[in-house]
Amino acid sequence: MDENFYDAIVIGSGISGGWAAKELTEKGLNVLLLERGRNVEHVKDYVNAMKENWEFPHRGGRTQKMIEDYPVLKRDYPLNETVLDFWAKDSESPYTEVKRFDWFRGYQVGGRSLMWGRQSYRFNRWDFEANAKEGIGVDWPIRYDDLAPWYSYVEKFAGIQGSRDGLDVLPDGHFMPAMELNCAEKHVKKRLEEIYKGQRHLIIGRSANITEPLQNRVNCQYRNRCWRGCPFGGYFSTQSSTLPAAMATNRLTLRPFSIVTQILYDKNTKRARGVEVLDAETNQTYEFKSKIVFVCASSFNSTWVLMNSATDVWEGGLGSSSGELGHNVMDHHFKLGAGGTVEGFGDKYDFGRRPTGIYVPRFRNVYDDKRDYLRGFGYQGGAGRGRGVEIAEFTIGKELKEAMSVPAENWGFNITAFGEMLPDHSNKISLDRTKKDKWGLPVLAMDVELKDNEKRMRIDMVNDAKEMLTAAGLKNVYTYDNGYAVGSGIHEMGTARMGRDPKSSVLNGNNQVWDAPNVFVTDGACMTSSSCVNPSLTYMALTARAADFAVNELKRGNL
Amino acid sequence: MNRRELLQLVATMTGMAVVGGEAFALNLGTGLSYTAGSSDIRFRLTAREINLLDEIAETIIPKTDTPGAKAAKVGRFMEVMVRDCYTKAQQDAFVDGLKNFPSLCLEQYQKSFFSMSAKQKHEMLVRLEKEAKTFNAGQSERDKERRHALDTENKDNDFARQKEFESLPKHFYTMVKQLTLLGFFTSETGATKTLRYVAVPGRYDGNVPYVKGQRAWA
Repeated sequence: MDENFYDAIVIGSGISGGWAAKELTEKGLNVLLLERGRNVEHVKDYVNAMKENWEFPHRGGRTQKMIEDYPVLKRDYPLNETVLDFWAKDSESPYTEVKRFDWFRGYQVGGRSLMWGRQSYRFNRWDFEANAKEGIGVDWPIRYDDLAPWYSYVEKFAGIQGSRDGLDVLPDGHFMPAMELNCAEKHVKKRLEEIYKGQRHLIIGRSANITEPLQNRVNCQYRNRCWRGCPFGGYFSTQSSTLPAAMATNRLTLRPFSIVTQILYDKNTKRARGVEVLDAETNQTYEFKSKIVFVCASSFNSTWVLMNSATDVWEGGLGSSSGELGHNVMDHHFKLGAGGTVEGFGDKYDFGRRPTGIYVPRFRNVYDDKRDYLRGFGYQGGAGRGRGVEIAEFTIGKELKEAMSVPAENWGFNITAFGEMLPDHSNKISLDRTKKDKWGLPVLAMDVELKDNEKRMRIDMVNDAKEMLTAAGLKNVYTYDNGYAVGSGIHEMGTARMGRDPKSSVLNGNNQVWDAPNVFVTDGACMTSSSCVNPSLTYMALTARAADFAVNELKRGNL
Repeated sequence: MNRRELLQLVATMTGMAVVGGEAFALNLGTGLSYTAGSSDIRFRLTAREINLLDEIAETIIPKTDTPGAKAAKVGRFMEVMVRDCYTKAQQDAFVDGLKNFPSLCLEQYQKSFFSMSAKQKHEMLVRLEKEAKTFNAGQSERDKERRHALDTENKDNDFARQKEFESLPKHFYTMVKQLTLLGFFTSETGATKTLRYVAVPGRYDGNVPYVKGQRAWA
């Protein structure tokens, strides 16, 4: 047999690609997993995981050199010396900003599964129905019930902690025992539930941190250093979870430093026959063949691969016949909310560093609530007792040292809203052939902005936060809107959406490219709408579902 | 306490956003064509300068029943931070202030900072802190004008012409105090002896009794 022939090729090894590799190998396929960046071995390559803050020369800060090398990453928290290894170097992989777009990428085995926020929520049934009902974008080709068993399936394996709250707006799942709310959060929860008579809720942030041992993983140790890679395997990543499962089948070949430049498309069979790979280290080109291809390179890079494929048939690339490839970019808009102090808990403190906060599920435009915008938002945040008490101005010495060494008088409480962004055809990415990356490949151009619906929603996002915290009895309530740059939610979605009609969508209800049914796109690119909840759990469920479908179709000889 | 919260605390205690930490507060529309001071400029302080920074820092955060700034090697930390994390303009302001400091001491006390009594050291730094407050307020005012000029130059808010705004350097003393607080509380001694720290908590409890006077978690 041709040594470059596999049953399946998976492009990208992040959350979606890791799941595709696991599912396809476990179902008996020989799989080639391609990753554009370097290998990162579980535990061994988490070089900063066990370092203490004082071991970093800048104590976890950023240098001027880093700021020069990372002109995009520097715009937000990801740029710092504790996690620098895990973020793609902007200078090697530029892109064009028609409008400002913050694109934070992880180019290594595991992708952004190593540094993700781990918040894990199911979409609700309305999320899948809203587009059709409101005439926005296109209808999802699936409904909640199609995905519910797959949510359960991935939750069991990934390990999601959370409480079961019985809410329609945020369906329960198969959860590990929940992490605990602290005393101040419990207090605010109780007040909110009384005031809003069960219409607004405050729950523990459901997250992919395990609270009990799972597979070969040790439960969370409450260090809250997930983003450096966890030596205990306390959170879900490709390395801690899906990759070892795929490896255990002996049917996985992992090839790092493999940039997929195009999917090779056969005009006669109307199928992909494999992919072309540029070796990122040697610059040599290789071809690998397979029966099916799973494109899981992260939303925009998956779209980039499609745009560069089958251009002899469709000028805009594979999947462009719909006119929607690269369009309908979505993210979650945020960076605004409110905070204040919770009084009366000066005799309480906490122990341990919990790697999740609280969540306030969406309450706008559900049931009878009607606003002057569509959809809604949720809040993430939490309470903590900060450090330092007030002292007179111009105090230094012993008194200053003392004042900065004790907990703050009161607990602080802060919430940030995360809002849904509607799909809009004019929000798009496209190829910019005038600019080349380190490997001489054309780059993406981003042309995305918030529209009126999101702007109207942002007013409520601040006001509701203030109203709730004030009603709950917090003191010193303040609001903030730090301004949001599209992309900074790091939830890029929608550029190869699923739909019911090849004329208006790139993928069908099983994530197959309409124009090449043996090509599946299951990462954020496939999303038809964005909901307001963090999307990664949905990518996992969609990937597992599509992999199951693909293998059954292969068995039936349909692919 | 995470880094962002710490920067906020230090800013509160020094009345100024932390120099070199401001990248957290970038405004919308900025972030293009950044031309920072290059960090490969050889930047080195003399042993005496490091000792002097230690001495100033120790006055701000002294040894009490726990070690102070000197034990946390805050002077050495300042050198690293100013070398790697400050822009050229900030570096220059820091170095100017440091070079000028000994003559200030001579002028006011007719002796070096090292030979001054604890009371004199304290008194001198408090005076500098007051001077810094006025100076920084002036810089902030000038920053507003410069920011306005930048905005006027690009009235239509043309994306391609937007430039990153770099604020004017703060008073030397403010920089030293910020670096002292930052360096001390993130040092091993600061985190484990003055504050409390558990590397691997293993569990979370959000409702433990707190008795007044107990140290905060690092």
